[in-house]
Amino acid sequence: MNFLILNGNPPGKGKKIDEYIERLAGAIKNARHDVEVLILRDMKINPCLGCFDCWVKTPGLCSIKDDAREVAKNYIASDHVIFCSPLIMGFVSSLLKNAMDRNLPLIHPHLEDLDGEIHHKKRYDKYPVISFLLEKESCTDDEDMAIATEIFRRQAINVRTTLGFVRLTQSPVEEVLRAIDVH
Amino acid sequence: MQLTFINGSPRPAKSNTGRLMEHFIRGFLETAGNTCQTEFLARHRKNLDALAENFASSENVIIGFPLYVDAMPGSVKEFIEALEPLSGSKQLPALGFVIQCGFPETAHLRFVERYCAKLTRRLGCRPLGCILKGGCEGLDVQPDFLTAKYYLAFQAIGLHFGKTGIFDETLLKKLAHPENLKAENMLQIIPFINQGLWDAQMEKNGALNKSFDRPLIP
Repeated sequence: MNFLILNGNPPGKGKKIDEYIERLAGAIKNARHDVEVLILRDMKINPCLGCFDCWVKTPGLCSIKDDAREVAKNYIASDHVIFCSPLIMGFVSSLLKNAMDRNLPLIHPHLEDLDGEIHHKKRYDKYPVISFLLEKESCTDDEDMAIATEIFRRQAINVRTTLGFVRLTQSPVEEVLRAIDVH
Repeated sequence: MQLTFINGSPRPAKSNTGRLMEHFIRGFLETAGNTCQTEFLARHRKNLDALAENFASSENVIIGFPLYVDAMPGSVKEFIEALEPLSGSKQLPALGFVIQCGFPETAHLRFVERYCAKLTRRLGCRPLGCILKGGCEGLDVQPDFLTAKYYLAFQAIGLHFGKTGIFDETLLKKLAHPENLKAENMLQIIPFINQGLWDAQMEKNGALNKSFDRPLIP
């Protein structure tokens, strides 16, 4: 399987999650999968402008010239994407969220009835499973985890895939690896 | 009463969020003495700390944004992160949100609503709640009878807020209708949006034949 790990740890938030990601990527490699790690803070990823050029002018391509296209290209070529971020004010970093927003060209503007709710049509045949590796902040509680996890579940539906795992960096790497094996 | 409206739309000039809030603000200002200041988040990206200071010194703040991948746009999250040092400060403003999406059902907005409620508590602001409205893509091309209904509802919520300092639950509920759609309603609405909104724009741009292109295929 092809794994893509998006490291959404912003500058100045400490190195703990970076080290965890390195160990996780190593463990995934040892399990004989391909893994690519993109460190978002070292890339240029502007926020989505909501212009919809990627839907109505150049279908499938964003009009902003920066590194988000490389992220989208790697994303659609993967079987499983692991979004990684410290929780900041109860949600993933803006660095990671901007990268997620910029994947809009991967889906189609047309809507359809998906199990009784309206969602966007697929542009590609196959989308990677998405998972989340998060680092707790000092105030993170069960409610924060429930709120974030429900949003991730919704995001998976809207990017036409399923939610793999949601884990904290407190879990041993082996446990995350086991969670991956399930999918 | 003083209100700061922070428009978190990435399209400051032509935002659906702003269009709806214009009517809210009109209603709000009907009460004598009320004042409202609008700030466009997109114009403050380089200096979010100044906007955070403005937030802290306001009496009431409403943050507005479109739903992006089931949550706030990344640029709005940047601002939320800039508010972190204020958490638990004394005399923070009362805080409310206005969130809209292109999906016709309000159900899509309920998840980020929970996040916003928790964020309000995390900051220690008095909660005003969330004004939620689905069906907002392409407000400028939607038929007038529909948009007039939305605008009047926003004006009524603003008027009530201007008088009482609270978002009226009954008005919010009315605005949030429909929460979900019946199959027969979807059958009517989907082609209206797919052809009337998206295909029409693609055609105008000469891109309709490329509609389902897969340029990033490996």
